[in-house]
Amino acid sequence: MKEKIIGFLFVMSLLLFAGCGHGEKNVLNVGMELAYPPFEMTDKEGRPAGISVDMAHELGKFLNRPVKIWNISFDGLIPSLKTGKIDVIISSMTITEERSQSVTFSNPYSKAYLALLVSKDSPVEKVEDLNSKGRVIAVKKGTTGHLYAREHFPLARINVFDKESACVLEVVQKKADCFIYDQMTIFTNWQKNPDTTRAILKPFQKDFEYWGMAMRKDDTELHRQVNAFLESFKENGGFDRLAEKYLKDEKETFDELGIPFFFSP
Amino acid sequence: MTKKWMRCFLRESGREAPSPCPSTLLNALLVALFILFIFIFSFSRLEYDFHWAGVWAYRAKFLRGLGMTLVLSFFSLIVSFLLGSFFALGQKSRFLPFYFFSRFYVEIIRGTPLLVQILVFFYVIADAFRVQNRYVTGVVILSLFAGAYISEIIRAGIDSIGETQLETARSLGLTRFQQYRFIIFPQVFKRILPPLAGQLVSLIKDSSLLSIISVSEFTLNAQEVNAYTYSTLESYLPLAVGYLLITYPISNLSKRLERAFSYET
Repeated sequence: MKEKIIGFLFVMSLLLFAGCGHGEKNVLNVGMELAYPPFEMTDKEGRPAGISVDMAHELGKFLNRPVKIWNISFDGLIPSLKTGKIDVIISSMTITEERSQSVTFSNPYSKAYLALLVSKDSPVEKVEDLNSKGRVIAVKKGTTGHLYAREHFPLARINVFDKESACVLEVVQKKADCFIYDQMTIFTNWQKNPDTTRAILKPFQKDFEYWGMAMRKDDTELHRQVNAFLESFKENGGFDRLAEKYLKDEKETFDELGIPFFFSP
Repeated sequence: MTKKWMRCFLRESGREAPSPCPSTLLNALLVALFILFIFIFSFSRLEYDFHWAGVWAYRAKFLRGLGMTLVLSFFSLIVSFLLGSFFALGQKSRFLPFYFFSRFYVEIIRGTPLLVQILVFFYVIADAFRVQNRYVTGVVILSLFAGAYISEIIRAGIDSIGETQLETARSLGLTRFQQYRFIIFPQVFKRILPPLAGQLVSLIKDSSLLSIISVSEFTLNAQEVNAYTYSTLESYLPLAVGYLLITYPISNLSKRLERAFSYET
């Protein structure tokens, strides 16, 4: 009897293994971290929403393929892509030299630059003040802010966090002098904590950071299609529609402050 | 009756493990081959290019992280054991405030996630008491967390001593201290060793959660290397080996102590 049960379990487990595979071949698996509103976020029912999500669905329509969105933490996106769990990353990812060694990027579809959220009492007045002993910088793991800080502020202490909210808390509680992240997030968090923080929004990088969609290096067919999609989406005014839908207030505020607005291809 | 050929797969009852003989070697080899086969099979199916050179460049970073994890674990092990013993006595205490405080402590710590405890302790409690050092805070949180489990392990050990033994001890005129010293402790120590060793091993692995408050321990360093090089498996596999190097001596020591403290009854 025992042998029969064991044999049965063995056969069942083999069947289980055989059954595990990709369901539909044609699905376009899109990876993003749903923690960067209004680009990647979830709506009140917990469904993926935001500019990147809308873009993913537009891309699916363009390619005539159903789209499946996978919520993956930012530093896990490139590994997921490389192991074939997803086909394309649309997650406000900056095109960098280092990342380009592991993946292929599409043509840029937006640009951004870094800014600083500074603790109220910190002596930091400009970005050059950061590279000295005793300064503490909070960064989110794997972001361009993290990579920038590591390269440009070797004398400062860099504390690495998983979540953007922890970085903001560090600055609010004066545990860190500043948090380096993109200008839009810094602006929003400064608005939320006006008594404990200030923001340095003036660009300090030589160049804009360009955002691209990322694909596997050997996936040249998809690479070509994605670039074709971006071209046609731009011509049809798709980007302007998305900016109007999601970034109306931000755009007005930035125009008032005289800071160049970032969401434009 | 066991058949003769089956005997090379069985061990004599009551013995820890069979003494070195062909059957020991055979069984160890079979297990090793089986595990090796699963790993080789799985890795051969993986579509992943290994680039060890990038990670190798960061070997000093790995070692620093491993060192920090060792230091954190060392202090947490000692403090948590002291806390656990203290609150185990509290749970056996006849002084009601001490008893209730101990029960309350165990229930609160066991019932809430370590992640939340770390965040609340660091950003709320430690902040209120002006403790800014995240390493000290980390050791305190880990010790409090593991202490609750250790307290329960010790209490269960004490409860496992039969009432008749205690009655006998009392009738012989032993004081409460003497009962603990000569009757309870020598027996309890052997019984609690296996779960205690398990708990201490967990404690070492749980120290990885301190990365959320940017304590630069082993896991955080591996994650950072992953963020710089985009080689996930190359960053995480050394992590597994590193933790095994720390935890195995504890398992081993516990086995040896168990043997040293086994009395013929």
